[in-house]
Amino acid sequence: MIKLFHVSKHYGGDSFALKDITLKVGKGEFLFITGPSGAGKTTLLKIMFGSENPSEGQIIIDGRNYSCIPRKEIPILRRRIGFVFQDFKLLPNKTVFENVALTLKIIGMNQREIQKRVLRILSYLKLQHRINFKPLMLSGGEQQRVAIARALVKEPAIILADEPTGNLDPTLSMDTIELFRDVNNKGTTVVIASHDKEIIQKFGRNTLYLRAGRMDS
Amino acid sequence: MGGMSNLLFFVKDAFRTIKENLATTLLTAVTLGFALAIFSLFLFVFINVNAMVSGWGGGTHIIVYLKDSAAAGDIGKLKAGALRIKGVKGVKFTSKDAAFRELRKGLKGHEGILEGIDKKVLPASFEVSLRESSMGPEGIVKVVNKLKRLHWVDDVQYSQEWIQKLYGILRFIELTALFVGFFLAAATIFIITNTIRLAVYARKEEIEILRLVGASDVFIKMPFFIEGVIQGVVGGGLAIGMLVIGRTVLLYKMPAYLSFIVDMPLPLTVLVPVVVFAGICMGVAGSLISISRFLKV
Repeated sequence: MIKLFHVSKHYGGDSFALKDITLKVGKGEFLFITGPSGAGKTTLLKIMFGSENPSEGQIIIDGRNYSCIPRKEIPILRRRIGFVFQDFKLLPNKTVFENVALTLKIIGMNQREIQKRVLRILSYLKLQHRINFKPLMLSGGEQQRVAIARALVKEPAIILADEPTGNLDPTLSMDTIELFRDVNNKGTTVVIASHDKEIIQKFGRNTLYLRAGRMDS
Repeated sequence: MGGMSNLLFFVKDAFRTIKENLATTLLTAVTLGFALAIFSLFLFVFINVNAMVSGWGGGTHIIVYLKDSAAAGDIGKLKAGALRIKGVKGVKFTSKDAAFRELRKGLKGHEGILEGIDKKVLPASFEVSLRESSMGPEGIVKVVNKLKRLHWVDDVQYSQEWIQKLYGILRFIELTALFVGFFLAAATIFIITNTIRLAVYARKEEIEILRLVGASDVFIKMPFFIEGVIQGVVGGGLAIGMLVIGRTVLLYKMPAYLSFIVDMPLPLTVLVPVVVFAGICMGVAGSLISISRFLKV
């Protein structure tokens, strides 16, 4: 499902964010990427998502090599990936409902189905009382859950989540990871970047350690 | 999602964005309005001044003097021959007697000068008027040369110096207009694109987020397209309003002999759609060009 071959990312000079990463995440796998701050977790996820290009190496997602995909087809590939951004990336002028519904609108789903799915995921994430709120009226944890809801609602083939529990209390963090596990049990490939040791210890059977941009085995 | 429901979604979204960014939208529409009004006013003045100066050329006539030996029958042939020349609009014959009468009329009060002079002393002539296409100095010379070759023609006279000066003035007006028009158009486009670019820049994050959640270029551009149309319509409407009000104020203050400068070269029924369409094109093009640079995520 996700294959990286000798991927490196340089930002000019000798400094690099990633160095020679080769990994394979099979369909239906659940992978944690962990490591200290600045280890390259976010960069690795962004490269898998195609929002950043590697300086070297090849990435194959869902059978397609990123370097061969025409620019206009990138949105189509992204519709099969749910990404939970560390900084949430919610549209501030849209309500919680509209933010979550947006990804379904983009894939062309009908209004009734959108309504059903959005309400279901929002109540699962305990956000049903916030549907008409705009993101800036929500707490950090609530905004994070909206971002998770937006990534999950379209039932994507792949979920990439960057510190999805960073703003949640321990109970909600465990619930959220359980939610990702449920989704994973239905066949979705899940890759989560996290430095939450407790979560890694509890759920991280399959974990990739990054240290200063390199794989640390 | 059906096409209609899609369009409704985009239109609703565009209106909501306009409401949320009312100040920016209004600023863009007003800038568009001013720019269009200034440019239209420039075009009005140019068209009117050009038409007026060109009109002076309409008075340029060629006089063909006939040989004294030309008989009445030859005059008809000559007239037909002159009318066959490309660029000739009309021919007016003046007989020897008529020419003398006109001279007499011109000397009103001093007719005595003509006492004892033969009434047939002046030559018969044709006054040749030209079509618009042959009004220029080159066109006139061509017609004159052809007229000279006609049988029974003694001499051909026309106001060569006047025509050259007139067309010199016309060329100067055209060149000045081209120069001013070019800079005015460039300044207009620069101001509009920058105003729109700033408005789009304020929504850079929104565009990037849409791109990241898999929205196609069309999905992202559509609300901006609709907003561009709305801004264009409002800007075009404002421009028309400014032109009509400005013209009324100018007409009130201007001496009547100069009022032709602000004449509307097109009726309002044509002017309104033209200006509004220009506004829409500018609004839409400005939005879509500005947005493209944020679609590279």
